[in-house]
Amino acid sequence: MALTDTRPETGTDATAVAPSVVPSPLTIFGSGDHKAVGTFYVLAALVFGIAGWIAAALASAHVIGSGSFLTDTTGTQLLQTSKIGLILLVIVPLFLGLATYIVPLQVGASTVAFPRAAAAAMWTWLLSSGVFIVASFIDGGFGGARDKSVSLTLLSLGGLIVALLLGTVCVLTTAVTLRTPGMTLDRVPMFTFSMLVGGSIWLLTLPVLLANLLLIWVDHRYGGATVFGAASSQFGQVSWITHEPQIYAFLIPGLGIVADVVATLTGARLGQRNLLLAAIGAFGVLSVGAWAQAAIYPAFSEDFVWQAMGLLVLLPLLLLLGGFAAAFKDGKPSLKSPLGLAVASILLTILGVLAGALLVISPLELRTTSFFANGQAILILGAALAAGAAGIGYWGPKMTGRQLADGVGKLNVLVLLGGGVLGGASLCVLGFATRFTGLSGAHDTLVVVSVIGSALLALGSLLAILALLSGARKGAPEAGADAWGTGQTLEWACASPPPTGNFGDLAVVRSPEPLLDEEA
Amino acid sequence: MTAHVLPPAPPVQRPRVLVVGSAFAAAASFMVFIGLIGVYLAARADVISSGSAWLPKGVAIPLQQPNTMFITLIMTVFTMQWAVSAISKNDRVNAYLALGLTLMLGIATIVMTTYLWYLMKLDVASGVQGVLIYTITGAHIVMLVLAMLFVALMALRALGGQFTARQHDGITAAAVYWYAMVAVYALIWISIYVTK
Repeated sequence: MALTDTRPETGTDATAVAPSVVPSPLTIFGSGDHKAVGTFYVLAALVFGIAGWIAAALASAHVIGSGSFLTDTTGTQLLQTSKIGLILLVIVPLFLGLATYIVPLQVGASTVAFPRAAAAAMWTWLLSSGVFIVASFIDGGFGGARDKSVSLTLLSLGGLIVALLLGTVCVLTTAVTLRTPGMTLDRVPMFTFSMLVGGSIWLLTLPVLLANLLLIWVDHRYGGATVFGAASSQFGQVSWITHEPQIYAFLIPGLGIVADVVATLTGARLGQRNLLLAAIGAFGVLSVGAWAQAAIYPAFSEDFVWQAMGLLVLLPLLLLLGGFAAAFKDGKPSLKSPLGLAVASILLTILGVLAGALLVISPLELRTTSFFANGQAILILGAALAAGAAGIGYWGPKMTGRQLADGVGKLNVLVLLGGGVLGGASLCVLGFATRFTGLSGAHDTLVVVSVIGSALLALGSLLAILALLSGARKGAPEAGADAWGTGQTLEWACASPPPTGNFGDLAVVRSPEPLLDEEA
Repeated sequence: MTAHVLPPAPPVQRPRVLVVGSAFAAAASFMVFIGLIGVYLAARADVISSGSAWLPKGVAIPLQQPNTMFITLIMTVFTMQWAVSAISKNDRVNAYLALGLTLMLGIATIVMTTYLWYLMKLDVASGVQGVLIYTITGAHIVMLVLAMLFVALMALRALGGQFTARQHDGITAAAVYWYAMVAVYALIWISIYVTK
């Protein structure tokens, strides 16, 4: 078979030997198994998450008091590196890993489309991430003093983006082409739909970031670094991915995870499902931010479109909240950790989107310092991390074949909610406070609170890893195919962990909740 | 912890996986150039609004070579479609001929681009113009080379007898990416070479 071939509709042997709980690097070298690739993505992203949130905490701590343990240049580089790293090394690959594992199961496919390309994407991402971290440490951050290190950072970021785009293409192609009979696009599970929306937005916007990096690299390497490659202007050209509205694009798959968790753990069908799908789609459209680049369009924040997008994004969020509230009302919520993490994610999302709505109101002058925007970014990234942790808790039994330790997940609810609120909201308050001279004394206290919040988010990443690994502990009860007993979508119809080929026979789907139809 | 047993589905007719994947890849590649050309147009507007000429003194971009490349690439659209049409009729000789011709015209475009770089006498370090023009045209050469590799790989598979009149997704997918590459050149031709 040639490299471009996939054999998605054949080779479904449900009696095949199930894979081990957590794949070792040795077993997944050369493997195109979407389950191994997805699991490795998730674990590596969470490890990077620990480092990324610690780096963010250190970068914030650097501005406390008069004496600092970092120079201004190092502190600024650390802050910029952690911002980019938390998106490209943590949140996007975390969701991409979950999608690589779960989307084929949700659509009833035996594998991900282009399995070898998906594996190549994961390895390229991992290698590029390593190079990015090393290059950043040897004074190669944006505007760094060592030219070759800066070039290495730029090239590794390019590699990261190409890898993430390739992985996204594999997931999107799976969702578009490998759906089981009867599963029309309006019947796909919420997570798969949110990946379709979020992945499409990534596919349209991350290449623009690649274009920015190309210009910086060419000018830095060959052009004398006078324009795009100038040390002072490098981060400004890529910072749009860390700001509103683009920051919302990295949260979209989290909305789908929350929806799936809420539906299953309340035992209720999501009412007005098409409206919720439309809401996720609208949230995606309102998160396209590649045009809002301060480096080439300095007046974007005065643009009506930017201000309208920041306010309108509240509407789809309200629709989603209504849908989730209805599920809580109609069903019987099971007080398991994934549901708690989903609620934590939603609370942080509400705070983040509200902060974003305040940010676009010009008379409030919240853009005069970067504190408020940084606080909003932490809220949104915290919400995304909580959604990822909810996904790990929810699909963890499917991935490991065992019930996870719910106590670890429940502890993580408090840690991630506390981390997000302390880390993000404190900087938002500081953004307000800087407008009033009488509150200037609150600076250090609020930054300390933010540092604690970032440290908690690092701890939350560690707890998410421990929760997933708890499936491998001795004596953990077996999960069974439907670990929650109230599964609605196809992934709960195959064994846990899924065998090679996932499903014995492809299933006929007649509604968005095929397993409920079967029980009826 | 219940087990679900679903009824078996009938055999499925899968949509064309490789074609859809290539379309996504083409869309992502296209967006790289949307980003680059967006920056180019914004930078050019800034320079022109300050009262200066866009191109530095002594630099001229002739139109003859870009026009020739554009015509060449439009010809490749026809040769690529010729290949798709031929393989869909199981006419392998014509498919090989069309794919070979497409690759040759692609090489000609690379040669012409490098000749244009020589004629422009634009230094990459001359400022924003040099960086932008070389980055955009260079990136297009990279996309062209990727498209040629895709076509060459599919041509080798065709030579190996892998494609038939009923199943020729590989060549169709290569054609989708190739058309996207030509569309990108059309954007470059208008925004860099024609409207200077």
